[in-house]
Amino acid sequence: MFVYTREAHPGENVAHHATSADKLACAALLREETGIGRDILVDDLAGTVHCAYGLMPNMTWVIGRGGRVAYKANWTSAANVEAFLDRFLAARGEHPPGTTPVMYETQQAEFRYPDRKRFTGQLLRNGPRAVAEFEKAQQLWALRAST
Amino acid sequence: MGEADRDSTAYYNYPRFDDYVAEGGDVADEAAFWASPRAGQRAPDYRLPRLGDDVQVRLSELWRFKPLVMEFGSFT
Repeated sequence: MFVYTREAHPGENVAHHATSADKLACAALLREETGIGRDILVDDLAGTVHCAYGLMPNMTWVIGRGGRVAYKANWTSAANVEAFLDRFLAARGEHPPGTTPVMYETQQAEFRYPDRKRFTGQLLRNGPRAVAEFEKAQQLWALRAST
Repeated sequence: MGEADRDSTAYYNYPRFDDYVAEGGDVADEAAFWASPRAGQRAPDYRLPRLGDDVQVRLSELWRFKPLVMEFGSFT
């Protein structure tokens, strides 16, 4: 399931949402252009669900049967989610006779390798301003890192 | 945008990404992620409209019988 949030990099073509109707229209356009086949749920204009789950632009959560958080990642890696689900479901399903599974929590760093060409194409889809603003943000991040 | 506006709908839907970063919005977002429910804690439950048919879907109905994968995103 996909939750459509605010536009992370608004531009001239896909702007920030000013109304709920804008947001619904952008979500429909996203599905039309990317072919997302999963259900898309659209958050409200204030981002109520996005705020409750932590505001990152492309994060993934797995909620276990019954409503407990099983996994949260501040960036989406389909391979990582799949590997987690395989382990999680196997551990819940199969365990040595006479034992019961006891949950524990981990926190770990992962690496990703952004496809800059593809990302720049997505920024351009939103508009040239989105590209320019991302470049300015990169300068701000470099400045932060150096101080 | 300003400190007083940080909880507002207008602040959430910022029009310029560079201004948002300059004001530390991205840092606050990262902090919000780590302050959100941890593994093992109960997930927040909401009702959201499904694109296409506008049916109101309750998240707890989706995770009632099997795990739910929730990806958040936009065009970028």
